[in-house]
Amino acid sequence: MRTLDDAAKEYLLGFADDELCVGQNHSWWIAVGPFLEEDLAFSSIAQDELGHARMLYEFLELEESIDEIAYGRDRRDYRSAHIAELRCHQWPEALVRHVLYDLAEEVRWSALSEGSWKGIAAIATRAIAEERFHLQHALSLAERLLATAEGRKRLIPSFQRLAPMGQELFRVKVDEVRLVDNGLLSSSLTTQKNSWIKNVEAFLGSIDCEINWDQFQGAPGREGMRSSDFESLHDEMVEVLSLDPDAQW
Amino acid sequence: MKTYEVFLKKAGKEPFGHAGSLDAPDDHMALLFARDSYGRRSEGEQIWVVSRDHILEGNQSDLALADRSHKHNDGQRVSELRTNQRLKKELGE
Repeated sequence: MRTLDDAAKEYLLGFADDELCVGQNHSWWIAVGPFLEEDLAFSSIAQDELGHARMLYEFLELEESIDEIAYGRDRRDYRSAHIAELRCHQWPEALVRHVLYDLAEEVRWSALSEGSWKGIAAIATRAIAEERFHLQHALSLAERLLATAEGRKRLIPSFQRLAPMGQELFRVKVDEVRLVDNGLLSSSLTTQKNSWIKNVEAFLGSIDCEINWDQFQGAPGREGMRSSDFESLHDEMVEVLSLDPDAQW
Repeated sequence: MKTYEVFLKKAGKEPFGHAGSLDAPDDHMALLFARDSYGRRSEGEQIWVVSRDHILEGNQSDLALADRSHKHNDGQRVSELRTNQRLKKELGE
């Protein structure tokens, strides 16, 4: 196996933290989803994303336990993108983030699965098998809602607000060239971002929904700055854990 | 939304069994939701989803005819009679 260099660690930790935050955020909808079937599907997706975070943390072979890494780090040591931290407590926002995030995951996991690191490629292949269903679910539901005037009225503003933010998913603190040079990624983050933008625009296709990509001024999530939503997200993550930190599960 | 009935088949020779029902906007979404609602923990190896509109429902009163207990013969009485007869023969009576 390759030795994990700083660049790979930074990138994979960012990806893992994105998965952790999105998984936790999705789970907010358990029992209050718009209808029972969607509730079950969305909760199941939330669980999958947390599983992916776990696989990535494990791969990083850090000194601390997985729980300590996921829940007990100093805020500045998290690397999540702000779009992943966003508390989407309105269903249109939650669904749109799900669409944008899973379209991004499709590109991100492929670049890892086609890279030359066997261990991480195996994890990526496993994740891709599940992501196929996530994406099918996200796109099918959004497509049906966007076919109605009411759905467009509710979803388009969320796409316009969140899509530019999504570009942060393709950022990393270190020089991104190192990730391709060391074989971790089969294509650069810039190339990945462009494919993602193309896929988002293709999905929105004929709908009158212009995205102002330049609206994104960069976000410092990868550098260790947490968004204002992170605190409440983190409180929710550790709510049960802090009742009895030494409990054996 | 339309209502669908979901059937799952476990591994091996098990027949399809009714897993439950669900609501979905159309057939495509019904299949997706069926997987998440009834098969997300690999509960089965095959899944059938049928729109409830396509189910032919029999007449309930035709099924609820009076006493049909004679159709539930488990053969026990005949078996007892036969055993007794054999025993009698063996004892030479």
